[in-house]
Amino acid sequence: MLPSSVPGWHGRILEVDLSAGRIEVKPLDPALALDYLGGRGLATRLLYDAIDPAGDPLGPENAVVIAASPLIGTNAPTAGRGHMVFKSPLTGVIGTSNSGGTWGAGFKASGYDALIVTGASPEPVFLDIAPDRVEVRAAAHVWGKTTHETTDILSAEGEGPRPVRVLCIGPAGENLVRFAAVANDRNRVYGRCGPGAVWGSKKLKAIRVRGREKTTLADKDKYRSGYDQALYLMKQAPVTKRLLRELGTAGLVELIDLINMLPHRNFQDCLHREEDVERISGETIARTILHKAAGCFLCPIGCQRHTRVAGPGGREERGEGPEYETVVLMGPVCGVYDLEAITRANYRANELGLDTISFGGTVACAMELAERGLIPRAGRDGLDLRFGNAAALEALTSLVARREGLGGDLAEGSYRLAASSGHPEYSMTVKKLEIPAYDPRASYTQALGYATSPTGACHLRGGYAVSLAFFGGTREIPRFSLLQSPVAIRNMQNAGILQDSLGVCRFTGYAFSSDPWARMVSGATGRDFSVARFEEIENRVAALERLFNLRAGATAADDCFPARFSETPILVGGKERRIVPEEMERMKRDYYRVRGWDEDGRPTKALLEALRLREDGR
Amino acid sequence: MRIRVKFLATFRTVFGGRERDVEVPQGGTVGDVLDLLGDTPERRKELFAGGALRPHVVVLRNGSPAVLGAPLVPEDTLAVFPFITGG
Repeated sequence: MLPSSVPGWHGRILEVDLSAGRIEVKPLDPALALDYLGGRGLATRLLYDAIDPAGDPLGPENAVVIAASPLIGTNAPTAGRGHMVFKSPLTGVIGTSNSGGTWGAGFKASGYDALIVTGASPEPVFLDIAPDRVEVRAAAHVWGKTTHETTDILSAEGEGPRPVRVLCIGPAGENLVRFAAVANDRNRVYGRCGPGAVWGSKKLKAIRVRGREKTTLADKDKYRSGYDQALYLMKQAPVTKRLLRELGTAGLVELIDLINMLPHRNFQDCLHREEDVERISGETIARTILHKAAGCFLCPIGCQRHTRVAGPGGREERGEGPEYETVVLMGPVCGVYDLEAITRANYRANELGLDTISFGGTVACAMELAERGLIPRAGRDGLDLRFGNAAALEALTSLVARREGLGGDLAEGSYRLAASSGHPEYSMTVKKLEIPAYDPRASYTQALGYATSPTGACHLRGGYAVSLAFFGGTREIPRFSLLQSPVAIRNMQNAGILQDSLGVCRFTGYAFSSDPWARMVSGATGRDFSVARFEEIENRVAALERLFNLRAGATAADDCFPARFSETPILVGGKERRIVPEEMERMKRDYYRVRGWDEDGRPTKALLEALRLREDGR
Repeated sequence: MRIRVKFLATFRTVFGGRERDVEVPQGGTVGDVLDLLGDTPERRKELFAGGALRPHVVVLRNGSPAVLGAPLVPEDTLAVFPFITGG
């Protein structure tokens, strides 16, 4: 085993070419580790160097890159998340996706800092990774099986130390559904941007990891000072101490409705009856279907919902969720307020390996198209596709995952579905990625975030500006500030880049920001990581993601919204609000300038020099 | 004047219901209403720390973040709850 040159990292990258059947271990350049940390940062760098951003995302030349971080393997709170980067088959720009549970910690314990998978296997395979042995093994016996079945079978097989962790796709990924997901710990999901389809195109069914490779601390006292501070602050902040455990993320449903940001019927409006919203709230989940709360690896927050509902024939079904995004995108956005139906559909989505946000958004688009008479096929297939039909929503999980009937059309995502009906304007997306459960007309800052997110409309990569509606104007900037939104959303995006690059959870941000992490990373690695040094890394990663997208063919013109958001206002606090194109353009230009990009959204030569990147990104 | 206060999330349990009406004199402020809501030690502790509103407590007036010193009018509705976050 190669000695690690910097504590915190193993110093090893695993490269697997599924076309050639080649497995290689390469050293991790310490300069790369120090400039990109791990997770999203390191994986973006490695992807950028491995593929042509203009290539076919479902071709063998695409790569899937997964990276751990120097904090994973320590006891830093929530440090166990995995991050995956690839070219997205849904959007055609960079795909970046993140998941909790335990697999990320298991991957670091197998002895690697990053994994790069290229090529495509002619037959279904899975990767079996242990510190002393890496193999590509036949997966015919699990091909076609759900994520749950695959995890159970592959967990039980094989020799070597326990525990063993499995990451896998379901039938949706195998069938190249463009928003197919990859799942670990059965119900923790790399949801967005369609990584499951990339895996399916490579006939990669699963990655199984095991091992006990340690991550030692270079400076225990320094690490401890950051760790103690983090734990203390997490116990002080009610969000992390109590609220998420009691109500889960769906505790947000009624609050978002209160501030007129809760979308409805494919984003036609944000109008709901209070009694309907109550049926899908976090309180109702806690009172009716919740079995228990739980947390991910090293997580004291405990927002996981382990739930149970009545399945067909009255038999009890168990699973996890629904989370806030699922409750809304597979709920009111489809005109549905039936919690049990949403929960069953969520269970199916997890088993089949589907992103619930893009699935819900695509079904909502299909419902609107059908109501407008633009999908004649819907009637022929016997699918009563209209807003509010929960049975159609449930049936479509399977039809989409298996590309059966109309499901095959929806499997392409809402943009291609709407475009094939001649009306792309009914797809509520940015860069073909379905908009999450916060209406952009209800916050200029969030709208700017969706428009400038590197992956398309995303509340996790675009910056999470929702708290401005609660505190804005008294403690933070107001949610309708043209002037202050660009800096604010840049800061929010950067906070996410740091968390994703360290393998830690977004929710820690409700207790503390960068300082405790700076101390923990400095202590783990023995190097001097300050908040300022983190900012340089955040800006470097953001610039690299932008360069990738530019080379993939995206331009500033793609940082935009469908016409509904500028033509149809919603009522916020009794006042009409919409996205005014000239104002959005102004905010975008200001955002580019704040990022150090030119007015076309290209990172400038001066910025790239300061970040020690060449103009071509290398 | 009578001011309606809505509670959400875990504050429904703390404050004993989804809504409450409180009486404040003309010129009464948002802060005055919060003082009245803190009518038990447990409720005071949920709202205040060291004389100031606890940082996670959201107070909306007619759907927008409330300024504590602002005088109320009879049609105002307040919403008071702890900030949850979502995914």
